[in-house]
Amino acid sequence: MFLKVKLPWNVVVPAENLDAKGPMLQRSIVIRLLDDFARRKATKDLGYFLAVTTLENIGEGRVRENTGEVLFPVVFSGITFKIFRGEVLDGTVHKVLKHGVFLKCGPVENIYLTCSKMPDYRYVQAENPVFLSEKNPKIEKDVVVRVIVIGTKWLEAEREFQALVSLEGDFLGPVSCENPLD
Amino acid sequence: MNCEVAIILDHKYEQLQQTSDDPMNQVSQVFEKSLQYVKRFSRYKNPDAVRQVREILSRYQLAEFELCVLGNLCPETVEEAIAMVPSIKTRGRAHDDEAIEKMLNDLSLIKKFE
Repeated sequence: MFLKVKLPWNVVVPAENLDAKGPMLQRSIVIRLLDDFARRKATKDLGYFLAVTTLENIGEGRVRENTGEVLFPVVFSGITFKIFRGEVLDGTVHKVLKHGVFLKCGPVENIYLTCSKMPDYRYVQAENPVFLSEKNPKIEKDVVVRVIVIGTKWLEAEREFQALVSLEGDFLGPVSCENPLD
Repeated sequence: MNCEVAIILDHKYEQLQQTSDDPMNQVSQVFEKSLQYVKRFSRYKNPDAVRQVREILSRYQLAEFELCVLGNLCPETVEEAIAMVPSIKTRGRAHDDEAIEKMLNDLSLIKKFE
């Protein structure tokens, strides 16, 4: 789910970018902020950083003595993406394995749907492997599946989330084209 | 909601397009994948429609996440809505079936006339 967050942040501007006053300074703060934001990728509490919407407030700069850079405390609003347990979402299948499939949803690629959580489905080995079911549409690569999240995990090393999902519930499973032409 | 995020990310992407020739190179993987995802999965494309959706859902005393899940998944029946967001039936907030059905009907009207 996408979240709107308001955060304090410390933007460090190197001395070279401090020549001009006024708007140029603000612009270089914004650029540094966007850079930092993009590099951080994600945090455990807020999820994946997507975009900065507004810069609310720029505080007084403090000069760092050793390096000559200036540290500006800013407050900004931005959008992040995080997966929650109990959430129902739509994911696209990108890998089909014998014991389950991997889905991707936005920036999260490692969403695992194990075959034990896919009631009625069985694996069919083929050049293009699929999961077939008597009553429901098949699940294969590029199919959109509506799932419920049963667990999430934050991997500090890779700075990314993983999730475990299930099809056990009403109205879950493959969904037809999301923009039907009525 | 996905449709609101789609508008925001699109706008950001356009801003980038104005400042450089090759915006795709500039954005992070996270941004690119999210933009693809929201564009594909937003039910309402028109900004006015999106505003109306938010307005309608806001009338019903829903928690923010309930509003989002309903706006993203667009359930067609009351049963489906309760399966997606079980909490709308609890907490004694007087969300009876009729009210939920009316809300879903209003939402599908917007989709039809988008």
